Amino acid sequence: MTETADIVVIGGGIVGCAVTWHLAQLLGPSARIVVCDRGPIAGATSASCMGHLMVTPDNAQEYAFTKKSLALWAELHEKVGGFDYNPTGALYLADTDEDLALIPVLRQQFADHGDRADVLDRHQLAQLEPGLADDIPGALFYPGDGVVLPMLAAGAMLRAARLCNASVAVRPMCAVTGVVRDGSRVVAVDTERGRISTNRVVNSCGVWAPDLAELFGAELCGAARLPIHPRAGNLAITGHHVSPIRTQLLEISYLRFAHGAAKIDPTGNGGDPGGHAVNMQPQTNGGCLIGSTRQFRGFDKTLNRELLHRSLLRARRYAPGIAAAPIVRTWVGLRPYSTDGHPLIGPWPTIDGLWIAAGHEGLGISLAPITGRLLAQQIVGETLDVDVTPYLPGRFVA
Amino acid sequence: MSGRIAGLDDATRGPRELIEFTFAGEKVTAWAGDSIAMALWAGGTTAVRSSSKNGSPRGVLCNMGICYECLVVVDGRTVRSCTTPVRAGMVVEPGGRP
Amino acid sequence: MSVDDTILDADVGIVGAGPGGMAAANVLAQAGLSVVVLDEGMRAGGQIYRQLPEGLVNHGKIAEPPSHDGGHALLERFAAAKVTLVSHATVWDAAPGKLWFEHGERSRLLRCRHIVLAPGGYDRCVPFPGWTLPGVVTAGALQVMVRGFGVVPGRRALVAGSGPLLLPTVTALLGAGVEVVAALEASSRWRALRAAPAVLGNALKRREAMWYARQLWKAGVKLRWGWTVFACEGDGRVQRAIIGKVDADGRPRRGTELKLDVDVVGAGFGLVPSVELALRLGCTSRFDAARGGHCVVVDEQQRTSVPGVFAAGEICGIGGAEVAAAEGQLVAEAVIALAKGSTVSAEAQRRAQKERKAADTMLRAFAPLPGLAELARPDTIVCRCEDVTRLGAQQAAQLHGDSLRAIKVGCRAGMGPCQARICGPSLQAMATGDGRRAMDLPVVQVPVKPVRTETMLDAPT
Repeated sequence: MTETADIVVIGGGIVGCAVTWHLAQLLGPSARIVVCDRGPIAGATSASCMGHLMVTPDNAQEYAFTKKSLALWAELHEKVGGFDYNPTGALYLADTDEDLALIPVLRQQFADHGDRADVLDRHQLAQLEPGLADDIPGALFYPGDGVVLPMLAAGAMLRAARLCNASVAVRPMCAVTGVVRDGSRVVAVDTERGRISTNRVVNSCGVWAPDLAELFGAELCGAARLPIHPRAGNLAITGHHVSPIRTQLLEISYLRFAHGAAKIDPTGNGGDPGGHAVNMQPQTNGGCLIGSTRQFRGFDKTLNRELLHRSLLRARRYAPGIAAAPIVRTWVGLRPYSTDGHPLIGPWPTIDGLWIAAGHEGLGISLAPITGRLLAQQIVGETLDVDVTPYLPGRFVA
Repeated sequence: MSGRIAGLDDATRGPRELIEFTFAGEKVTAWAGDSIAMALWAGGTTAVRSSSKNGSPRGVLCNMGICYECLVVVDGRTVRSCTTPVRAGMVVEPGGRP
Repeated sequence: MSVDDTILDADVGIVGAGPGGMAAANVLAQAGLSVVVLDEGMRAGGQIYRQLPEGLVNHGKIAEPPSHDGGHALLERFAAAKVTLVSHATVWDAAPGKLWFEHGERSRLLRCRHIVLAPGGYDRCVPFPGWTLPGVVTAGALQVMVRGFGVVPGRRALVAGSGPLLLPTVTALLGAGVEVVAALEASSRWRALRAAPAVLGNALKRREAMWYARQLWKAGVKLRWGWTVFACEGDGRVQRAIIGKVDADGRPRRGTELKLDVDVVGAGFGLVPSVELALRLGCTSRFDAARGGHCVVVDEQQRTSVPGVFAAGEICGIGGAEVAAAEGQLVAEAVIALAKGSTVSAEAQRRAQKERKAADTMLRAFAPLPGLAELARPDTIVCRCEDVTRLGAQQAAQLHGDSLRAIKVGCRAGMGPCQARICGPSLQAMATGDGRRAMDLPVVQVPVKPVRTETMLDAPT
């Protein structure tokens, strides 16, 4: 007998888990929800990224979007917990004149939304974070940010889903091998463990979302390929109890570099030299996670020692104590970069029953809860918490 | 009771040099050539750090640099006490939660 | 080139100064090749032939088995050989022709035309309640204490585990004047009999077996077959051990428990090959439970799948000191053959094969018992670095998947500084309840062992 489901979520990373969590909330306890991943749950990008919960004040839309998502993070922490939620705030540091000029701009952006970030003088900075170098020219503290452990958070989201609907089926190591359509309508998916009849499918495969989209039939996708490309980051993590800092640090140039539109060919063939702006995240065990670099080079996951080296040098410049801290592991994660810099959250207009939640680049952890919520709200036809128009996937369909 | 095996001295070289260092503020006497872990163990101290999450006492497990259970802090650096030789005047603090 | 140069150059770089590395170095140096040996220990010898610190002499106080004569001979030749030994060297990254190592405060590089990996192995740990208490250590740790430092580990000791290394642990303790309250071998006497051909067919092993039998008899220590440690208890350190019988698969037979007062416990369930550097270099490996887990695959001349990278001893599968020494000799001849166009002697090949075959026979009798995974209770810590309990690992396996990576991702087990060397071999069995399952091949990342940030920053290229 073929299994049936009300909805199948394909891709069990942080975004797929967030979608599952909110679907379980909105569809009620009798809905049949299946989440599949070809690998472990939260085993790919979500296991190899940083855990920044970040409010981005660039414009009203993004501010509302990130702010609301962080509120959902706090709610998940309160209701389920177990993912080292750590509301440390964020210290934006400037080291060059160009970066110093960004500090008042960022402060004003927060102020424009009625929020507050404080410019710190050297004395205030030393008090907040005694582990920092004493000659940092500029610092801005925003208290609203935080840090989580994404892979444990993904598990917490699934537990939250099961609190609403105990029958949520979680299937790691279960690849989707095919999609059955009736005309433009999805009727079933084939998995390694058999067929599931369903007329609603969510593609939350992150950097691999284009591969899954191809299973649905490229001719109906409008575009040749879903416009999501891997953007690699090199990371390092220390052992426990050695972090020189207690507050999350970001080089303020991060803003320019992370969210600026890439002028580089994102397909990985264009010889992207890559860039870096250091981000240091204290862990609750006293360790410190160090990122972040960005480079388009396809799905290559070999360490770029040069980029990592540069980012560790910046870490040492700001927090000299990191020099003596033992590094336990370095690795590469792949961010799902969408070509217009915004995620895809909504229905794929040419295929009935295909929904997409992917393409968050470096903001996937921050934005996972609101993404899950907004997609679930669209699927059940509920009023949306935040306007989702800029993120509708239809913008990529000619 | 832990301690030292008697009679291992090399008669041609005379008795071994004794050195002193501190662990958690207490004075410890060691022999030249000891690792921090073995100097502490010989003196009866088996717990050298507390665990990251529940704070339980931990000490040497493998004694050969594999397990990282015997981490201590020497002059601000986290090191394996089983592979780090003692030095006179060394200030050693337990690893783990401060 | 000075020994203290930040960058060292040599024809051959050897990792490990145990029997395999020493044997290889001796032969290579004799042939006129320049050799640098990197070793993490304080002195040459590895774990099996660990030497007391300089200035201490055994004087026959700590009795040594007959096989150690071979070790002394190796050490003497090694001391006289024209070989550069860098002790306290932690190798943290490798590429063909390059070995990066942390040496005290310094970040250094060895450039060499050929790499010989002889890093040995480490104790296989099986988690049981109370194994995190101070005073509970591996069997190897006790040997290091006594034979490496002249330290008396305690007053009353329990030795438990499986395999040929339990006996030297017991005799080391006896040499230190420790009362060995019990010596427990988890394998049954009948299973262990499978090792008999290896012992009977080898004169040295026969003498060795008789020597151990005599030592234990003199001390009144009886080896109990089919017994193991169930739990340890104590306030801040081990004070009591609960021991009991296990069935043929190693499953604890509840109801057979005895309680012993002890102040030190050595537990060792065989050894695990240290393959991390080889995996980092891209060498092909295969899983062999009896040989201890993932082993580097080598051809009949100890060549790995990566050109210029050779391996000898435990890294190719646990086999003991005689195997390591024989493969060390062979690997040296293979390197010389490559460097000078000579040929490898049939004698070296024959000896290595013979030793390996005997060791395999021995080890099959002590292959890890799957049922020992049941010693851990739900609240027993499995991953000591991250304080993950067995229940936590089980829940991770259920939610995130039952691969090694999924379990790690789901609960952080194996993500701490030991990089899963301790919990890895038992983690999947603990989490899935399937002790027969082969462990997934771990992914090895840089650094292969933790090193300071500045070591990575200052790494010579």
